[in-house]
Amino acid sequence: MTRTHLLAIPVLFCLAVSASLAGGALPIGATIPMQDVTMKNVDGEELNLKSIVKPAGTLVVFTCNHCPFAKQWESRIVELGNTYEAKGIGVIAINANDPKEYEEDSFSVMQQRAKEKGMEFPYVVDATSNVARAFGATKTPEAFLFDKNMKLVYHGAIDDNGKDPSKIENAYLKLALEAVLSGEPVPVPETKSIGCTIKFRS
Amino acid sequence: MSTIVALVLAVAAGLPPAPAPVPAPAGADAILAEIRKPGAGAVLVNVWATWCSPCREEFPDLLHVARELAPNGLRLVLVSVDFPEAEAETLSFLTSQGVDFPTFVRTGKDEAFVDGLEPQWSGAIPATFLYDANGKLVRFWEGKASYPVIKKRAQKALATEETR
Repeated sequence: MTRTHLLAIPVLFCLAVSASLAGGALPIGATIPMQDVTMKNVDGEELNLKSIVKPAGTLVVFTCNHCPFAKQWESRIVELGNTYEAKGIGVIAINANDPKEYEEDSFSVMQQRAKEKGMEFPYVVDATSNVARAFGATKTPEAFLFDKNMKLVYHGAIDDNGKDPSKIENAYLKLALEAVLSGEPVPVPETKSIGCTIKFRS
Repeated sequence: MSTIVALVLAVAAGLPPAPAPVPAPAGADAILAEIRKPGAGAVLVNVWATWCSPCREEFPDLLHVARELAPNGLRLVLVSVDFPEAEAETLSFLTSQGVDFPTFVRTGKDEAFVDGLEPQWSGAIPATFLYDANGKLVRFWEGKASYPVIKKRAQKALATEETR
């Protein structure tokens, strides 16, 4: 994801699932897009990204209920989210998948999952998938971390071992969160992991 | 087509299809070596998993295109990213699809595999890559594609070589 990024007009940048290409992800240094779009949280409240932003920084994670890769990292996403929200980072998880593709990605299962996993931050529905499109997110899980100036400083994987948390060598997102809190540059700003394509709504 | 015929005959005879070969563990280097093996007019690489619905949905179309264009030199390389404990399910799916040729299951860390195979790839699956006869990537896409789309793209990749 280190090549030239073009932040196209979101509507035009409708990544048809059949033809989506990497390369459209929000570039490092970009501002949080679509801050005014309201999304329904698992508690039933409508909220937008602007309301999530905190002075220390903001973490946006695209995830879902069904994807085995998202599930692998789920507990770690919740742990990181809960920990760093308590430390002053705004945290939100977004499900942009069309539940028509996977019933497990429905709102009721999101509510259940958030409760089971003890999520202390919002888990919302991107009801048009346009927020995911604006971020250029392509898969779940995929993290975007913004610094105190709301500029993207980290994009990518949660860590380098989805399968076995005891064998993590690079806790990429955690290192980035620590860097943001201490005002230091993020050591590795862009990383990758294998994930499930986001099932964009048409 | 022989695979389809064998499959049809097996089904007609009430016999189970021949079991697919166990996917060989491979990192990105091994997959690239497979892509660059001489002899193909173009190579179609598909990264998939048994639990991935779009992957399963497009699988028959990929096989259809591969079988149709094999006489023109198209070679199909299938790479599963299933977890090791899903080997039985992987084999069962491959067998049900009539896959009777060697396939692969990826090993190693995600990032090394994704970037090693193709830096433009975000890591989302399904992912499909088309290489020309020299092993040069000519097209790739994330998400499933339909039979006519895959076929058209594969024909174009084959034509890339023919026009050299």
